[in-house]
Amino acid sequence: MHNTEATAYLSHLIDQPLRIHTSDGRVFGGQMKCTDKHRNIILALTYEYRAPSADAIRKAVQESGNPSAPVNWNSRYVGLVVVPGAHVKKIEFVDSTLSGQPGRVVL
Amino acid sequence: MADPALLYHDATASDADTLTASNGTGPAFASAESSRFAQTSLPLRQAPRRGAPPHIRDVTEKFTAACQALDVGQLVKDEYFTLFESIGAIEIMDPKMDSGFLQPGETLEDDFDPLAPLLPEELIGIMDQLLSYEMAWHTGYPLSQTLFTSVYIDRLLWPEPESIPQAQFYRDDILDDKRPGTLLDVLRAYCLALIKGCDYVIAKIMARDYFEEEDFSTHTYNRVLFVQAPIDVFLRELDASVEMIEDPDLQIDGGIRSAIVARLHFRKTFLCALDPECPLEILSSFWPPVVPFIDQVNDTHILGKTVPGSFSTKIQRRLASTVPPRPIVQVEFKDALQTLKQLCIDCKEATRFKDLPTDPLEYQSFLWTFASRQPAPLTYSRSYLSNILFDPYVLNAPVSLPLEDVQSFVFHESPILDPSNWALSPPRNPLMPKSPRLQFALLIDEFVERVGQSYLDLWVALGQNKCRLRRMLTHVIIAWDMLQQDAVFVDADLIAYALQLTISEEVMDGPLQTWVYIKKLWMIEKVVVLGFEQDIYLPDEYAGIYYFLSLMATKRKDALKRCVEHTNDRTVQFLQSSRFEDAQNTSEKISFIDSELQQATGISAFAKALHGIYTIANYLRLLPSPNRPFSTESLRYELRMKPFLSLQPPEVPPFEEFQAAVQPYGTYSDPSPSLHDDLRQADCKVWSDIDTSLKNAKDAFAKVKKYGAKESKAGGVEQAWNKEIQGMLASCIALGVTVAGLKSAVKDIEPGSKVQVKIEIPPAGASKRYVEGWIVPKIVKG
Repeated sequence: MHNTEATAYLSHLIDQPLRIHTSDGRVFGGQMKCTDKHRNIILALTYEYRAPSADAIRKAVQESGNPSAPVNWNSRYVGLVVVPGAHVKKIEFVDSTLSGQPGRVVL
Repeated sequence: MADPALLYHDATASDADTLTASNGTGPAFASAESSRFAQTSLPLRQAPRRGAPPHIRDVTEKFTAACQALDVGQLVKDEYFTLFESIGAIEIMDPKMDSGFLQPGETLEDDFDPLAPLLPEELIGIMDQLLSYEMAWHTGYPLSQTLFTSVYIDRLLWPEPESIPQAQFYRDDILDDKRPGTLLDVLRAYCLALIKGCDYVIAKIMARDYFEEEDFSTHTYNRVLFVQAPIDVFLRELDASVEMIEDPDLQIDGGIRSAIVARLHFRKTFLCALDPECPLEILSSFWPPVVPFIDQVNDTHILGKTVPGSFSTKIQRRLASTVPPRPIVQVEFKDALQTLKQLCIDCKEATRFKDLPTDPLEYQSFLWTFASRQPAPLTYSRSYLSNILFDPYVLNAPVSLPLEDVQSFVFHESPILDPSNWALSPPRNPLMPKSPRLQFALLIDEFVERVGQSYLDLWVALGQNKCRLRRMLTHVIIAWDMLQQDAVFVDADLIAYALQLTISEEVMDGPLQTWVYIKKLWMIEKVVVLGFEQDIYLPDEYAGIYYFLSLMATKRKDALKRCVEHTNDRTVQFLQSSRFEDAQNTSEKISFIDSELQQATGISAFAKALHGIYTIANYLRLLPSPNRPFSTESLRYELRMKPFLSLQPPEVPPFEEFQAAVQPYGTYSDPSPSLHDDLRQADCKVWSDIDTSLKNAKDAFAKVKKYGAKESKAGGVEQAWNKEIQGMLASCIALGVTVAGLKSAVKDIEPGSKVQVKIEIPPAGASKRYVEGWIVPKIVKG
């Protein structure tokens, strides 16, 4: 990819909601504020999500008797964070454009 | 201008808290209703909005490729996002910053079950541990590293209960067989009262204009400490617990039973004493009952058994905090009890404030003495005193407090303060001149109003810890300096009207400015003395700083002398006009001013003697003098005098004058030859000056002592006052010994030869000094 194209693409994602999966299994959802060559990403207004522990799932299944019982992820607000590129495992874009609306971000 | 398309914001959903694990691709945001959105071309940052159900698209590959195409150092960023903001970002996966980072194998939470039955010994252990942490918090550690590490307290506070009955170690419904037993219920009552106590402490400390995050952490990490619940709810819970424990059906050892009851009683009495709503009149009755229970708690501490699992650093991960868990603060139980006892004693002492006579100078003595208590009062105790001081009952005294202060120095039975002046009405015709007596009243009212803020500032400063007191005083001095300049004008008006009434001989020359000046000089002296007390100065600077102190005290002495003279004049005037009662009143008041005068005389003379002895010590190279390659004497002088440089009239002597005073024989390294000749003669001016000063100081302090604490307006703190004046006298005697020792050591000194003695400087805070702010050197054989 050419630098101009890359810059344009990434600029479109600025202030957009991203979800970043980190190497330890957590997910960070927030607005992208900044990124660089090393894929370090700064997110604002971020929430941290953590999968429930195996114990918690087992307990929920036991109590409800339903093997596919929903278990809440643990979440907490963490605010402004920087995710180092080395720990970024997956990046998701949360596109909430209504159908029929002109999509803004070219994916 | 940005491309409008970029600023066209769609709805976003980013605040969803509920995610389901069943979603294989990861958490799904809860959908929100779609909303309308407007397009704007203004360069504003748009707030995120709720929107339609989001599509999740994996952009990892494209994103990564795009990043790789960026240049080194190139940033793609929101144009409103600054480097400054980015500094505040927490680095994920950095163990020092990321509070959610788990070491391999580490779990997010401990599996301590707060509903598991407790042994009675364990109940005692947990209560005592909580008390230790409570005291650690009082000494300055945050709640997160102390009380909030308790699993029990965490359960009571989070999720936030709507009412006290809901504040349990569990939430919602619970099976009957899991319901907590008696001992857990007792622990709950204890914890509830403890938490409420913390709430009261925070409330009291925050009630002050100045509270100190440096000394005390009021942060509650978004936990609400039962702010709304009234005290009786907690007292009832405690009473019910006492009943449960005392129930004969409860199988429990007698000693342990009474140990638990003692802890509950302690909690109850302590909570009552902390209650900020206590009426002022009965404050003092709340602290004494706490102390016997502290002793009982102390005696039965060994019965307890700790439950380490009930405290966990991991709870910090769930607090509204951006720092990773830090270790729990460890405090010895006996130290914690010592702190607690000190807290009770200090607060009890503070309650004596309300019994003081309504006299601002008595208040001032009390505040000063309280700040000087050893060990230094905790933040809570200081706030406790300030809350009494700033109670409307005290502040709205029937007399104006600043005016009362003024009256103690100037204006004895003065026509200016004649109450009838205030009874006069202004002339109906506003063009007619007001009567001079009415003008007196108006001018004084205006001045009192003007003084108010500066006066309060002084009191606020006196309520701080001593280090901050020293720093804050330098600011208060500046305000009083401006006040002095204003007072000059008021004085001029007063004199003008006095002349109209031909009573100018009854009014002192510049009464208000003299009063302000005396107060200001007193503060400057205090700043310098506190500097010695806190070891701000280095030994080779002592000579110069004591020289400055002596200058300030001399100026205060002169101002006070004028007050005394005026008061004497007034007495004579009254006698001449046969107003014997007024004469009597005036001459009675003179004892306070004279005691102040003697105090200033003593300070000035003693500081002069110390200046002399330290100067000689500097010449004899008896004091350590550090190598200072990057500074000059004049720069160091400027630095030390900085807080006072702007004052009017100028208080800081020019550097040349200062240098002549501290280096009368030229530089220390190369003194003039006459130095050694002079030193050898015991009756030479160098020595005789010191001897005279010392004698004057001794006489002056002896006079002050004779006046006693009450006359010096320190009746409320008589003991401390006596100790201080006794210490000053002892310091004089000790300095006399030092002078004699040094004299004999130099009686055959030759230029270039070394003196065979050493000087020992008593260290601060080790009770090696008679008075902490007065450093009397000791001569020891070298």
